Amino acid sequence: MQLRIERRMIAHVPWVMLFAAVAIASLGVWNLASASHHAGKIGELLQESGHATAHGSAWTGQAAFVLVGLAVIVVAALFDYKLLYRIAVPFYALAFAAELALKIAGHRAKGAESWLQLGPVRFQPSEFVKIGIVLMLAAFFHDDYRPNDPGYGFLRLIRPVLIALVPAALILSQPDLGSTMMIVFTATTVILFARVRWWVIASMLVGMAALSGVIWNDYIRDPTDGHRTVVRQLLKKHQSRRIESWLNPDADVKGAAYHAAQSMIAVGSGELTGKGWGQGTQTGLSFLPEQHTDFIFSVWAEEHGFVLCMLLLFLYGVLLLSSLTIGITARDRFGAFVAVGVTSMIFWQVFDNIGMVIGLLPVTGITLPLMSYGGSSMLSVFASIGLLVNISMRRHVF
Amino acid sequence: MVLGACIAVGLLALAVRLYRLQITRGDEFVQKSVANALKEVRIPADRGMILDARKDVLVDNRPSFDLQITPAFCLHCKEEVIPQLASYLGWDATQVLKAEAQLKAVKREAIFQPVTVWIDLTKDDPERVKLDTLNAHKMDLPGVDVVQAPHRNYRTIFLDHDGKPSNGLAPLIGYMQEINESEFDHLNADGAGYQLGDYVGRIGIEKAFESSLRGEDGKREEVVDARGEPLPMLNGLLVASSTVEPVPGHNVILSIDARLQEEAEHAFKGTAGAVVAVDVHTGFIKAMMSRPAFDPNLMTGRVSRAQLEAMSKDPLLPMIFRAVQQQYAPGSTFKPIAMLAALRSGQYTEHSTYTCTGGYRLGNRTWRCFVDRGHGHLDIKHAIQASCDAFFYHLGDVVGLDVMANMALDLGLGQPTGIGVVQEVPGIMPTVAYYDRVAGGYQRYMALNSAIGQGDDNVTPIQLVYAYATIANGGTLYQPQVVQRVESQDGEVLETFAPKVVRKIDLDPDQRKLVIEGLAAVVNEPGGTAYGHGLKKIKMAGKTGTAQVKRIGTEHHVKKDTLSYFERDNAWFVGFAPAEDPEIAVVALTEHAGFGGTESAPVVAAVIQKYFDLKDEDSGVTATADASHVARPVAPHAPVPDVPKPTAPPPAPHQGSAHDPSDAPRSGPPTDSSAAKPPEPPAEEVADPATAPPGSVPPPETAEVPPPPPAKTLPPPSEPERAGPEEGERKPMATPPPPPPEEAH
Repeated sequence: MQLRIERRMIAHVPWVMLFAAVAIASLGVWNLASASHHAGKIGELLQESGHATAHGSAWTGQAAFVLVGLAVIVVAALFDYKLLYRIAVPFYALAFAAELALKIAGHRAKGAESWLQLGPVRFQPSEFVKIGIVLMLAAFFHDDYRPNDPGYGFLRLIRPVLIALVPAALILSQPDLGSTMMIVFTATTVILFARVRWWVIASMLVGMAALSGVIWNDYIRDPTDGHRTVVRQLLKKHQSRRIESWLNPDADVKGAAYHAAQSMIAVGSGELTGKGWGQGTQTGLSFLPEQHTDFIFSVWAEEHGFVLCMLLLFLYGVLLLSSLTIGITARDRFGAFVAVGVTSMIFWQVFDNIGMVIGLLPVTGITLPLMSYGGSSMLSVFASIGLLVNISMRRHVF
Repeated sequence: MVLGACIAVGLLALAVRLYRLQITRGDEFVQKSVANALKEVRIPADRGMILDARKDVLVDNRPSFDLQITPAFCLHCKEEVIPQLASYLGWDATQVLKAEAQLKAVKREAIFQPVTVWIDLTKDDPERVKLDTLNAHKMDLPGVDVVQAPHRNYRTIFLDHDGKPSNGLAPLIGYMQEINESEFDHLNADGAGYQLGDYVGRIGIEKAFESSLRGEDGKREEVVDARGEPLPMLNGLLVASSTVEPVPGHNVILSIDARLQEEAEHAFKGTAGAVVAVDVHTGFIKAMMSRPAFDPNLMTGRVSRAQLEAMSKDPLLPMIFRAVQQQYAPGSTFKPIAMLAALRSGQYTEHSTYTCTGGYRLGNRTWRCFVDRGHGHLDIKHAIQASCDAFFYHLGDVVGLDVMANMALDLGLGQPTGIGVVQEVPGIMPTVAYYDRVAGGYQRYMALNSAIGQGDDNVTPIQLVYAYATIANGGTLYQPQVVQRVESQDGEVLETFAPKVVRKIDLDPDQRKLVIEGLAAVVNEPGGTAYGHGLKKIKMAGKTGTAQVKRIGTEHHVKKDTLSYFERDNAWFVGFAPAEDPEIAVVALTEHAGFGGTESAPVVAAVIQKYFDLKDEDSGVTATADASHVARPVAPHAPVPDVPKPTAPPPAPHQGSAHDPSDAPRSGPPTDSSAAKPPEPPAEEVADPATAPPGSVPPPETAEVPPPPPAKTLPPPSEPERAGPEEGERKPMATPPPPPPEEAH
């Protein structure tokens, strides 16, 4: 294992991607300062009257996480990522064990177990399980390289699918539908990247059609006629309600769809240029739940409007496309698969979170990478970016 | 490359969606975000006051607090908020269910409108402990507001003679209750903007003048946070505050004079009954009481189910407005009307006489007079004065039922008076056609019963006093009214109610004068059934009535020991004054009290005296120094001085047969559907030996009344051993059902 940084490696540091990531994280801190502090006219008045929100110091914490995250990038970039190939199996096993431990004795937050307390540190094992799966899949596809292969058929896909599905099933039982979906999407992307046979894609399309059919049957058909449901009886009530409110956000403003409806109001009322930093009423008057974490994008959209939303999407686009480039240009299959896995992980989180905030997708509790408040999420994204830097730097080092 | 394209497409999809939300539908969401933070707060309008004729306050408003829940802000309402409220406020399960149901009924578009779930927080909590508790826990009660709301304050509680509260005016004023579904629909039909939980007038003036009294609520918008917590410092930050000031309701000015009302409630000593005082020249009511009555402050508040049940089970029926909603046999108060009918028909003249021998024989049976030995030879005036039953049996037999009924109907008996502001019962004034509709048909004896106000004759107190007022004013039947004006809060007159004439009837002045002379003699001349109850300075005219009970309620609901009460006769007195030029007419009905002369006449006398005292007072003339305005007999059992002996013929020998139960007068009512009540033997006018001993020395108070009539027309002295009119007179009536009537040959 070499920790030496060569000169030519510096030349391949993906500065554009790093710039995009740091820019997004900085905007995130600034945004969080508004969401938590409200220094505007509303904020002053709120503070005078003792109505200041509870997360008053969230943004300083977030800024600290960004600084720590930069250090994490450096650390993650220093060693040769080949090390990861060697520790992929133990890492995967450890993350799985942590998830299992959580299942047995976990900290309950809002009815779902997703936090594990380890001494003074509280972390979400599912974040690490995701990375573990990406590494594990990358290691698998690295080993399973067959030149001139037409692509993976069903039989050869059994192992990679199991690698992803076993921990995914465990997380689903927490229950954490959001993280499960992230794992499924990410793993599917990685598998597709490995090239599969056409009938695999065809059957996936059929599967998606079937899923749509199930959703239609379970949630859209008039439920009063007592027909059989396929999965609905297996899901928790709050999960079912989220799907329902996603399908019909106007049905019940006060109940399940409250989050979605309030979020759409916040986003929509931002219009072209927004209400101004610290002036968001949806945020300032606490109409938005989870505004520091899952719904942080709606704070941004409300206060800064369409133009700066486009800027943010552009930065995410730059980040994702440049990291995808890293995957394509990696020196080996392992690096390529890790890069693609990490990229798809970030992409799906961004897509799912913003989609949820703007009412395109059901509310799942996925955080927005680099924007949402929280150490676990922030550090795992920075660690992923460090890996990308690592892979990019070593593209010509053999 | 494919993956890159996928990423680009995904981000593009987000961008397109953002464009639709923020640019295409931006305005819509801006409005929604503003509506989110704005709560419409209602500013309740002050309800108008109800004032008496001199604009003294009868009903006004007092400050109080109501509890409201705004559904949109009430998170975990059913699970957390309502149970907490229940424990702080001591709600029972019923109230919890009611509040839950109220919130459940809120439609989606109305979730930002507060719902009133509990009124008058400080009602039974003068220390405001509950209010303080709620304020202290405000942060745990999202969407819960305590709002100031004026509450109705009924000041119409007078004192009765025992100093106990008397709510005699309550049935007329009415009370308010929470709006019900049908009221909600029909009151809101013209956009009145009532909300669930609002209070509306349920009966009486409060209901009839709801639209005048109510006013228009204002509204104000407040900035609130997601918990519904108002942030007053942010008001005006988001939008120009659009406050609509409330418009207070109008004041309703009654014709009731609270001082006269107070006198009526004070003077009325009975357990149950009614008093109505009327201006005979306008038809406006000056005082109107019903006893027993409900407490309007209780009815308008959170009256409990148990309290309502107790009221509905009370055999005295406190919810019945006796002045207009209960009908009674008029008894002898009908006799002057029968007399007017006979005179108008021409079959009687001012010279008509009749010799009472203690009864009137029809067929082979005798209709007894209440004076067994007979009144002797009577002219019209003295027949009224002594209330001789035999005279009127004869009269009824001669003129027939319809002649009397037509007169009574002309005077407004047996038909709704049209008072309007309260519901009323029509009463019954039977005609030949009426009896012909039932099995057996009309029988000749029925006219006899009718002539003394029995049989199926049924009138309400208000009908009777208007009939007498019509006689008093020379023939104009007015429609009863209690509201004189509606005024704005500033005193601007918005609506004035003029006297309404129902009809004018031809009353021959001489005939009227003759009857009034008889009525005056009732009170002012020895031998009158209410002699001794006259007034010192004012000549009062009136008529007693002691009517066989028409049972109220059913016996089964009455305890055994109260049966005797409910079997006793109803005591009437109706009169007017001054006899020469009447101004005011008053009726008093005391249920189950016995004799009208002793029970009800003093009430009427007291009210009339008060009326004239007040008139003097208001016109600046000092009232008479003597406070005891009611003339009292000097001594009930004063020794009989040497008054000329009556020369009336002694009772006929066969008079004794009147005591024969088998020969008791027949008065079985027709067996029609209304015959659910027991057979009614005719009640008889009972001379009260205690107050009107014929031949007693005229009290000094009545010194200025005309001298006693010629001795020969005086009724015979009643026998001293006939102490109680109830026992003495009722015994013969306790007869087995009489045989079927036989036609006179």
